[in-house]
Amino acid sequence: MNKRIVYKNDDGTIAIIVPAECGLTIEEIAAKDVPAGKEHWIVDASEIPSDRTFRNAWEWQ
Amino acid sequence: MSTVKSKKLQVGTDASASNNFTIYQPAVPDGTLRVGVGNADSPTEIARFDATGMISGGATPDALSTATGSAPSYSARAWANFSGTGTPTLRSSGNVTSITDHGTGDYSINFTTSMPDVNYCANVTIPAENHYCTGIGTGGGVGSPTSSYGTSAFRTGTIRSQGGAVFDPAYINIAIFR
Repeated sequence: MNKRIVYKNDDGTIAIIVPAECGLTIEEIAAKDVPAGKEHWIVDASEIPSDRTFRNAWEWQ
Repeated sequence: MSTVKSKKLQVGTDASASNNFTIYQPAVPDGTLRVGVGNADSPTEIARFDATGMISGGATPDALSTATGSAPSYSARAWANFSGTGTPTLRSSGNVTSITDHGTGDYSINFTTSMPDVNYCANVTIPAENHYCTGIGTGGGVGSPTSSYGTSAFRTGTIRSQGGAVFDPAYINIAIFR
């Protein structure tokens, strides 16, 4: 699945969910695995930077 | 043509009850078929089947037919092999809907079907790479001071044994036993 789910952690950093080929749709995985009450965004994997040097400083805008 | 209906069917008529088996429906039907050792009046359950045909329980776990010795075999309840470098990817998994990348060296695996409790055994391994011996710390990455055992997810961190810094390994393997 070439999608990712992004949501913001409480400390302002972001979490990125990598879906498995488990039979669920990306929307179903988001509903299950994004913490309750968190806004989330579904994006193409290509939109996520591959250089993780400053991973903990990433922000979602 | 006639149909025989019964709640119990004893197989064997040996004088010793332990040489006989009974196929039966539980006293309170729950959609399962039980197989027990012993006579029909008091079988001891050894296997259970549900409508899908899967064995869903037994009194005592058995060794797999491929196992050496008689110690019982327990299968992983969830597992995953994923990359933490570049754009993290999940190579393969079982009973896992996704992994969550919380930050450098800080990951969760999210279970498709939850664990029965949080007392499972989580095995996390990382191959050695770049001259470093790598290991799993009980501490996670930034914002995750400890590993967390949840029924719906397991979270852990990866650190270098040399220097203790969190990092993103190319291969992370997690297996959950319960």
